[in-house]
Amino acid sequence: MAALVGLRACFSAFQLTSPSLLHSSFKLCAVPLSRRTFAAEAKKTYSRDKPHVNIGTIGHVDHGKTTLTAAITKVLADAGGARYKKYEDIDNAPEEKARGITINASHVEYTTANRHYAHTDCPGHADYVKNMITGTAQMDGCILVVAATDGQMPQTREHLLLAKQIGVEHVVVFINKADAVDDKEMLELVEIEIRELLTEFGYDGENTPVVTGSALCALENREPELGMNAVLKLLEIVDSYVPLPKRELDKPFLLPIESVYSIPGRGTVVTGTMERGIIKKGDDCEFVGHNRSSKTVVTGIEMFHKSLDRAEAGDNLGALVRGLKREDVKRGMVMCKPGSIKPHQKVQAQVYVLSKEEGGRHKPFVTNFMPVMFSLTWDMACRVALPADKEMVMPGEDTSLTLTLRQPMVLEKGQRFTLRDGNKTIGTGLVTDILTMTDDDAHKWG
Amino acid sequence: MSLSFLFRTFTREAAKVSHLQHVQSIHTGCQLLAAEKALLMKLRKSTGYTFINCKKALEKFDNDIAQAETWLHEQAQKEGWSKANKLEGRKAKEGLIGLFVGDKAAVMVEVNCETDFVARNEKFQQLVKDVVFAALAHHKNKTQSQEGYVKSILATDDLSKLSVGNGASLADHVALTIGRLGENMSVRRAVMVGIPAEWCIGSYVHGSVPGQTDVVMGRYGALVVFQGGKNEEREALGRKLGQHIVGEAPVSLGNMDDLPCGESETRLLPQTFMGDPSRTVAQFLRGQEARVLDFVRFHCGENVSEEAD
Repeated sequence: MAALVGLRACFSAFQLTSPSLLHSSFKLCAVPLSRRTFAAEAKKTYSRDKPHVNIGTIGHVDHGKTTLTAAITKVLADAGGARYKKYEDIDNAPEEKARGITINASHVEYTTANRHYAHTDCPGHADYVKNMITGTAQMDGCILVVAATDGQMPQTREHLLLAKQIGVEHVVVFINKADAVDDKEMLELVEIEIRELLTEFGYDGENTPVVTGSALCALENREPELGMNAVLKLLEIVDSYVPLPKRELDKPFLLPIESVYSIPGRGTVVTGTMERGIIKKGDDCEFVGHNRSSKTVVTGIEMFHKSLDRAEAGDNLGALVRGLKREDVKRGMVMCKPGSIKPHQKVQAQVYVLSKEEGGRHKPFVTNFMPVMFSLTWDMACRVALPADKEMVMPGEDTSLTLTLRQPMVLEKGQRFTLRDGNKTIGTGLVTDILTMTDDDAHKWG
Repeated sequence: MSLSFLFRTFTREAAKVSHLQHVQSIHTGCQLLAAEKALLMKLRKSTGYTFINCKKALEKFDNDIAQAETWLHEQAQKEGWSKANKLEGRKAKEGLIGLFVGDKAAVMVEVNCETDFVARNEKFQQLVKDVVFAALAHHKNKTQSQEGYVKSILATDDLSKLSVGNGASLADHVALTIGRLGENMSVRRAVMVGIPAEWCIGSYVHGSVPGQTDVVMGRYGALVVFQGGKNEEREALGRKLGQHIVGEAPVSLGNMDDLPCGESETRLLPQTFMGDPSRTVAQFLRGQEARVLDFVRFHCGENVSEEAD
C-alpha cells in the first residue's frame, strides 16, 4: 500500500508538470515506474526525515485562505501526507503563547512527496511581524490567495508590503474561486493584474507561479480540474519554487560558552550547546566576545563523559581546547569557526515590546532607555535609540530600534535576543543590520 | 492493485484531454473581443470595482464605458449595503484614531475595521478623514451660538446619521467603503471639543500614519484642554501633555495638590511626568504656569464600559 501511495504521489506530480498531456502518455508509465522505488523508500522512513519548510498564506479575509488550507489537507490526506482538517477544525487563529508573547496564528502541518510543511496563517500584520521576531514560524515562502471573483483588493498592496517587510522572497499566487467565474478571459485578467502588482513591489512578477483553481471544489469533490488537481499543482509548485532553507548543520559551527573548567593534567574545557554547524576533533577554532579573542585547536569533544569524534547542532558538549588558560575564556564568549562571526557594538533591530498582559512594562519608553540585552549566553547593558519618526514606544507595539551595547559582543544579522529591565522582560527582537560605532556613541558610554 | 490504479488514471487522463478540447472549442466560439478586454481592464483600473461587476456593467451598456462607470457607482452603494449587512456582527477591533485640531475646536474619532492591513490602506484612511470632517461640521452647526467650553461625545448610532459633504449619510459612506474593502467597519465614537478664546487644545497621536497631513491618524490619540503656558511654547506644551496622557493612560484629572500614590496612579496631575521623571505633572504645570482643564484619551480597540456615555 505504501508503495502505491508513493507511486500515486509522484504520478500525480508528474502529470501536472506536463502541460501537453497527449504525447506524454507513454512516458507516464515509464517514469513513475522508475521512480517507484525511490518514492516508496522515502515513504518507509519516518516522515520527519523530509526537509522541513515553513510557508504561510496571506490574502483578504474572505478570499478563502482557510478553505485552501482545508483543501490542501484533504487532498494530501488522500495521499497519506496529512490529516484532513475540516474548515471548522482549522481554528481561525487561536491565541498562541510563544516566549510569553501572544500571537494569533493557526498552524497546520502536512507532507508532500518531497517535503514536510508547517503552514501558518495569521489575521493581522502585527501578528506576522511578531511571528518573524520571535521566530515561531519563520516563513520561507508564502501563498498569496486572491479570489477570481474580486481580483486583488485594495489591501493586497498592504499584504505584499508585509511580505517584503518580513523578508519573504518567494511568493506563489493561488487564484481561488475560479469555479464562480465562467469566463476564462477574466481569470487571465486577474492574473495579469496580480503579476503587475507583484512587479511593482519588487517581486519577479513575470515568473511568479500562478495557479488557478477552487479550494471549495477540492473540498466538495467537484470538478477535479479546478479542485483537486489545482491544489496538487499548487503544492507541486511550492515544492519546487520555494527553496529549502539552509540547514543549521551546513553553517560554520558556533558554540556559545556556558561555562569553563580547568581539568588538571588535561587543560581547559568549555561547555555549551552547539548552536549550529558540525565540529570535529582537530578543528581550528576561535574564541570571541568580551573584548577578547584567541585562536586555538579543539583537541577533544565529550558528551556525557564519553568522547566522540564529531558533534553537531543541538548537542550538549564539552570541548577540550589546546593551550588556553581558564582565565582566557568566560561565559558569554563563543567558540566558532575562525572568522565566521565577529563582535559588534551597534545594531539595528526589529523589536516587539511586550504588552502589560504579556508581562511587560505598562509604561512606554523613550530614547536613551537602558535595558539589558540577552542573547546566546551573554548579557550586556545597551542603550536604545528610537527611529526618527517616533517619540516613544508603547507596550504591545513592534518597532525598529538602534541598540548600542556597552561593550562589543557577538552579534550577527538574524540573531535573536531579549531585552530585560530589572525583573521584567520588556521585549524580544531580531537583529536586522550591523551598524558601525561613531565617536558620539562611544562618548555616550563615557 | 497498482495496475488497476494505473488504468484508472489513464481513463482520467483521457477524459481530461477531451474536456480540454471541449473547452477550447467553446472558447473560439464566444471569445471576448480584444477591445472589450482592454475596456474591462481600463474600467477596473479606473474604478477599482471587482472584475465581475465591471464585466456586468460593460455587458449591460454595450461597452459604453461612461455609462458603465455611473452604473457601477450606483451599484456600489447597493452592494455596499448588502455586504455591510452580511458582515455585520463580525468583530472589528483594529482601525484608526483620527484627530483634527482646528481653530478653537478639535475632533477625535475612532473608526474600526477587522484587520490592520485595511487600517493601513488609504481608502480606509480617507473614510476616517471623512468621519472627522462630518463630526466637525456637525459640531460647528450645533455650537454656533454657544460661547464657552463645549464637549460632546457621539456613539455609533448618532454618528451614522451625520451627513458627509455631498449629502449622503455617514452610514451610506461606511457601507460604500465596506463594499470596496470587503471588511466589516464601524464608526465607533467621536468626541468634539470647542473652547473659549483664551484656552488652548493640545494633541498627540501615537503610531501615526505617514502621509496624512491635515488629519493625524494612529492607534492612540489624546486631546488636552489647558490654559496658560508661555505663548510660543504652547504647541510643544500641548504635545508633551498629550504624549504623557497616551503613555501613562490617566483615568481622571485629580487636583493640583493631590499626593502621588505610587506607580499605579491613575489621576493625571499627581502622576510622574513622562518628559521629566523628577517631577509630577502638577509640578511641571506650575513651572509652566499652566493649568489642565480636561483631557480625552482614545486607544483603538479598547473596551469602553460606558460606550454611549
